[in-house]
Amino acid sequence: MSPVTFGAPGTGTTAVVAGTGGCLPARVLANDDVIAAGALNTTDEWLRTRTGIARRRRTTPGTGTGALATAAARAALRSAAAAPGSTPRPDLVLLATTTPDHPCPASAPEVAHRLGLNGVPAFDLAAVCSGFVYGLTVATALVRGGVCSAPLVIGADAFSSILDPADRETAPIFGDGAGAVLLRRGGPDEPGAVLAADLGADGAGRDLITVPGGGSRAPWPADHDARCDHRFRMRGREVYAHAVRRMTASSRAVLDQLGWPADSVRAFVAHQANQRILDAVADRLGIPPERRLGNLSELGNTAAASIPLVLADGSARNGTEPGARTLLTAFGGGLTWGSTALTWPVSEPRITPPEPETDNSRRSNASWLPKHSSTPPIPSTSTS
Amino acid sequence: MASETLVHSADPVDQHLVTVLQGKFEVAPEDIRPAATLEDLGLDSLAAVELYVTLQEQWQVPLDDSEANIGLTVQQVRDTVHRLRADSAGQGGTA
Repeated sequence: MSPVTFGAPGTGTTAVVAGTGGCLPARVLANDDVIAAGALNTTDEWLRTRTGIARRRRTTPGTGTGALATAAARAALRSAAAAPGSTPRPDLVLLATTTPDHPCPASAPEVAHRLGLNGVPAFDLAAVCSGFVYGLTVATALVRGGVCSAPLVIGADAFSSILDPADRETAPIFGDGAGAVLLRRGGPDEPGAVLAADLGADGAGRDLITVPGGGSRAPWPADHDARCDHRFRMRGREVYAHAVRRMTASSRAVLDQLGWPADSVRAFVAHQANQRILDAVADRLGIPPERRLGNLSELGNTAAASIPLVLADGSARNGTEPGARTLLTAFGGGLTWGSTALTWPVSEPRITPPEPETDNSRRSNASWLPKHSSTPPIPSTSTS
Repeated sequence: MASETLVHSADPVDQHLVTVLQGKFEVAPEDIRPAATLEDLGLDSLAAVELYVTLQEQWQVPLDDSEANIGLTVQQVRDTVHRLRADSAGQGGTA
């Protein structure tokens, strides 16, 4: 699509980030743990130098994406509640994920239910690692169109549920987690305002990043036929070139749309895929290393969660002040890609552990607005 | 001569190749010889793709990323760029 501007400065209405939250499972897997689990022919040193990843988080068995998403959403609500001004009640839940709790139905309605938001529209969005940027763009357009005024946008994935532990190309790369933002209607001059976006897709590259089986084209057979590959597969070398080109071009499109010189961007948050892809894109754009925010070494690639987890990560912030020019860019399966320009929000982010799973998740009496005292205020991805 | 480095070549493709290999991949200039493979120069598979992407951007030629691999020699890479540049020039330079 052609890049779009949301709300001409001083005149229009757009969506503003009111709160930011994240959810990280407590379980930490070091490179050696992943190598041992899959009997992988690689080393800790190779993974650190070639991918930039040292460790990642994993959910415990039985804890799904919905539990991560719910916790991240609660953290975003706490973040908003602790910020100056009133916190709007969420009136839409959008969950970007590739690993929903079930093939059917979507996970967003249950997340809304757990949050005490029964009745609000809730849906999943499938754009793999571009999911959060897609979701943020869709939600902003829905705010501008009057469909809602305070959407919760969540990026959440438990890729451990679809990884092949013996696949060296993917098993060490991905981690589990969730990130969320609460948006509200506001002006483009406010800190946290979403200002422009660019999205794209190219289905010719469908098989570069894929779970080949288990869908309607190759259904999961009742006898668990071994020929039906239901694990996540990625052709990393080919993905590299597409990712570098698309994220660079999309980022430039958004910067040009706003007339922002690259050196005016204070916070560059790219999908945390691989340090070499991130550096290749940022080098092409001319964004210096200290303005590239990330936590890849600690969390790996958390798919749809990676960008909001960087936004929620106090230790990755590197002094970014509210109102600072911020550029998000992502690339993922589909192929899909997208970029969003915004300014850094006022609210302080929160990070929490996952929600406990319940038998039927019937927590309809839960308040949508949680107490803020129950969450540690400073998120950190460092591990001990 | 096959053993000469490309450092003193007047050809613009050679010069660019040397600049990129030196600047982006930290290859010692004396090692950049036509018979050297990208692996000899210390590039891994992603670095080979990055080299191809960089050459495409510089010369606006349709280098095929999927052909980028560490077994290619410097001579093969420069020949491919030269051939694609000639092809695109033959088509009015709008590759």
